Amino acid sequence: MSGPVPSLDRLPGEPRYWYAGLAVLLVAWPLLFGAFWARIGLGALMWIGLAQSWNMIGGYAGYLDFGHGAYFGIGAFAAAVAMAQFGYPFLVGFGLAILVSTVVAYLVAVPTLRLTGAYFAIATWAFAESIKQAALVTGITGGTFGLSLPRSPETFIGVPVPFEIAETFFYYAMLVLCLATMALTYYLFERHEFGYRVKALRDDQDAAESLGIDTTRVKRQVYVLSCVVAAVFGSVHAWYIVYVHPNDVLAPIITDRMVIMALLGGLGTLTGPIAGGLLVFLLERLSSVFLGSTTFYLPLIGILIMVTVLFAPSGIIGILRGEVDRDDVRKNVKELGEKFDLL
Amino acid sequence: MTDDILRTTDLTKRFGALTANDEISISVERGEIRGIIGPNGSGKTTFFNTVTGFYQPDGGSVHFDGEEVTGWEPYRLARRGLGRTFQIVSPFKNMTVRQNMLAVQTDDGRSREEKRDRAEEILEFLEIDHIADNEARGMSGGQQKLLELGRVLMLDPELVMLDEPAAGVNPALELRIMDHIHELNDEGTTFVVIEHDMHVMKTLADSVSVFDSGSHIAQGDFEEVSQDDAVREAYLGGTTAEDDEVPI
Repeated sequence: MSGPVPSLDRLPGEPRYWYAGLAVLLVAWPLLFGAFWARIGLGALMWIGLAQSWNMIGGYAGYLDFGHGAYFGIGAFAAAVAMAQFGYPFLVGFGLAILVSTVVAYLVAVPTLRLTGAYFAIATWAFAESIKQAALVTGITGGTFGLSLPRSPETFIGVPVPFEIAETFFYYAMLVLCLATMALTYYLFERHEFGYRVKALRDDQDAAESLGIDTTRVKRQVYVLSCVVAAVFGSVHAWYIVYVHPNDVLAPIITDRMVIMALLGGLGTLTGPIAGGLLVFLLERLSSVFLGSTTFYLPLIGILIMVTVLFAPSGIIGILRGEVDRDDVRKNVKELGEKFDLL
Repeated sequence: MTDDILRTTDLTKRFGALTANDEISISVERGEIRGIIGPNGSGKTTFFNTVTGFYQPDGGSVHFDGEEVTGWEPYRLARRGLGRTFQIVSPFKNMTVRQNMLAVQTDDGRSREEKRDRAEEILEFLEIDHIADNEARGMSGGQQKLLELGRVLMLDPELVMLDEPAAGVNPALELRIMDHIHELNDEGTTFVVIEHDMHVMKTLADSVSVFDSGSHIAQGDFEEVSQDDAVREAYLGGTTAEDDEVPI
């Protein structure tokens, strides 16, 4: 396509009215629909934020991080250790999650970002697995027993707060984090020259270097940033769920979900993880609630991934923007048909 | 005393048993357009890659603008004022033309506003400002070449090394590119250009260096090198041509 880049503001009428309406809906959500839907909402917000965090390194920078979920777990355990083992309020755990994830991400970034493609993916996957195994045998993380977090009114900032620490509180906490993640992504990756440099190194690292871009530094910055965002969500999740175990918060499925959400929505786009995150999360949760099946959504997701990769590599957002080339789709359908003797 | 902007001394690059650049010593004077020619596999692009930091040399040194820069990382050299393009054009295809320009990073303390103004100026100069908001992947090959040159100009380089700027470009656009190079050269930018099109080289270069099998075998103006025995040997493979013209 050779025309100007499509604008996101393609909705009928004034975009600001749509944004205002969406803002009102998001703020009023738990008040309008109650605790159950607040829980659904906070889950969706968390997964959208996590998918966006993966999208920073996987989509914008093009580094397929298959160990990203480890940082969600690191954030969860940082908060859990601070609160359960040392009796600190959540805010200290939150700060600790940022600190620990920054240090770990930097230490991991230095050797692994020298690798590319499958090697990077395997190295990060192995890192995540080793973190999980370490958490299972380390005393401070509770080992195979995990850790239970306190959740009384004084566990937020150290003194009692005049509101309940329950679903609504966590919904708003996730809303703030998710909106902050979106705003950060929009500013850094879509508007700031930093984002142009990240995309430049994804498209052609040598060309980027030849234009003054210190690609090693930029890669490390994106990696650390994306990991810290995942850790921040992990820390809030730990407090919300009040119990963390390595098999839950360090499970490989966490990374898998982030990857699937970003891929289905549209890699390297601001809105892709929102679309993909909503689709996957709601499919999973609603099929579980209304159909009583926790696995029904899995084959559906598998089919969706195949269809996306084959026919709409730019994801849902690419389809909405009209970026799917019909000739390519026809060609792929024909090739598939011939391959499986269907045509 | 000459004012050399680029000087390589015994620059050597090996790949296993193959010596791609064998003790190459070249001086490029500030303000000139230096052509580099040679048969395929003679080591021209390796020379570019070694000078611009993409390959670490196995021997010798590189001096740029009076400073030894041997083994510097490419981004440092770029920020220091040594720009280059590649044989295969590589626009950042998922970004707009303007974003391609703004991705360039310099150390000169320019504000974002100044950088944007400079990008507009360059796009206008290269006559691609009308497609500034288009994605680079939709550009024609010639437009991509111009964008690549434009990005390098964002560095405000002292020296630009162009690897086959006219390859795969239609004659009208080729002329435009040549005009831009001449215009920039008149304003003081030095160029080192690899080009297989000898017509382009003849009209563009002030002097020419000839490479063969990893060695620098001749240097002089175009007419001079085309009469050189070693150059004839390299291009004709040792046959004795009746014709005075080297088929280059």
